[in-house]
Amino acid sequence: MQTNLLCTKTNAKSIKMSNEIDHAQLCLKLNAVAQKRDKQAFTVLFKFFAPKILRIARGKFPNEAQANEVVQETMSNVWRKAHLFNADKGAATTWVYTVMRNVTFDMLRKIKGNKEDNLSDDIWPIAESMVSEDDCYDDHLAQDNLLNVIDSLPEAQREVVKGFYFMEMSQEQLAIKLNLPLGTIKSRLRLALAKLKVQLGEDHD
Amino acid sequence: MIKHHPTFELLKSFVDGELPASLSAGIAIHADMCPTCQHQIAQLTEQVAEANFEFEETFLDRFIVDEGEDIADMPAISFEQMIDNITSTDELVEPEVKTPKQVTFNEQSYVLPTALNNMQFSKTANIGKLSRARIQLDEDEIHTSLLHIAPGGGVPEHTHKGFELTLLLEGSFDDENGHYEKGDFIMLSGDHQHHPVSTEGCLCYTVANDALHFTQGINKLLNPIGSFIY
Ligand SMILES: [Zn+2]
Repeated sequence: MQTNLLCTKTNAKSIKMSNEIDHAQLCLKLNAVAQKRDKQAFTVLFKFFAPKILRIARGKFPNEAQANEVVQETMSNVWRKAHLFNADKGAATTWVYTVMRNVTFDMLRKIKGNKEDNLSDDIWPIAESMVSEDDCYDDHLAQDNLLNVIDSLPEAQREVVKGFYFMEMSQEQLAIKLNLPLGTIKSRLRLALAKLKVQLGEDHD
Repeated sequence: MIKHHPTFELLKSFVDGELPASLSAGIAIHADMCPTCQHQIAQLTEQVAEANFEFEETFLDRFIVDEGEDIADMPAISFEQMIDNITSTDELVEPEVKTPKQVTFNEQSYVLPTALNNMQFSKTANIGKLSRARIQLDEDEIHTSLLHIAPGGGVPEHTHKGFELTLLLEGSFDDENGHYEKGDFIMLSGDHQHHPVSTEGCLCYTVANDALHFTQGINKLLNPIGSFIY
């Protein structure tokens, strides 16, 4: 049996304007880290994730040392908790994201509130953070797939929504990057969100 | 059956890790009881993860012109050293076994959701049929509590200036808008007025960012204790 059959692909549709992530490869490396404590495999994962984690962390922590700490903590958890990753339940990217988000959450709480209660793993347990792909909700929720809905938006709105929600850029940043007036960004975002809500079937009260 | 769910925006902020601990825990508890939200959170997490780790080259090149600095090349952090450091131990970390907390209200004991495992609770305070145990999250103006309403009890009609989340952990209650059951996630903003009454009694997890403001008749006298309840 080929080992890569054990690695499921992510449910998320690849976002067209970017390179595809090699999910099977990341998943194999993560399993190699878990089962064989494979340092080479970890290095591959590190080179893929660390620069991205650093960029994201620098958006959340003005202090460079803190951003570095997020990288260190996240990748260290990847090394020490790789055996908790379950390839049947989702992509390696999802798992690493969960680890990174939890590290960031606990650190922000520590910095802002001086609380070292490390609540993140109670709120988002990393051992069970993913829902199985073949659970019964897939069928009737298939059309709820957020990315399908986003992809159905007109190009101009789609760009803004992706930048705002997935890149977490501010409306002001988007206006500069897309070279558009702030008002245009705001109205595109508003229009797009209204459409998303309708399509995702959210009830208004 | 659960009828009240967090909004899409709340779920998205939850997945991004941007909500305060109080609201994050509320959504986690709801999702544990609500397969629909759980599924939506799983999907959102997958998509946000994909986007976070994918956009680097192309999307960023198009939109972010950050004075031409390439983070990967910056000298402040030595990746090689970090790798050596991290892999210098082969130890695996086992997840801690989670034993849920228990609380007792009105001589009845309740097993709490594991999302609350590491939170500190204050002593319970009682007023009439209401009992409240504050949860010490230290989130400034945001107050988080467990609120127990004994059978036949209720909260007098009130509004609040900020938001008020009531998440039903056990039991049920009614207000002028309907009937609420275990798992319901009820987020009200300042312009709502309501008057919850619980016939069978209930235990709620509540989060509010301002004191209640009682609106009716003699209940206005209660305003000084509005901060007691939420
Ligand atoms: Zn729900």
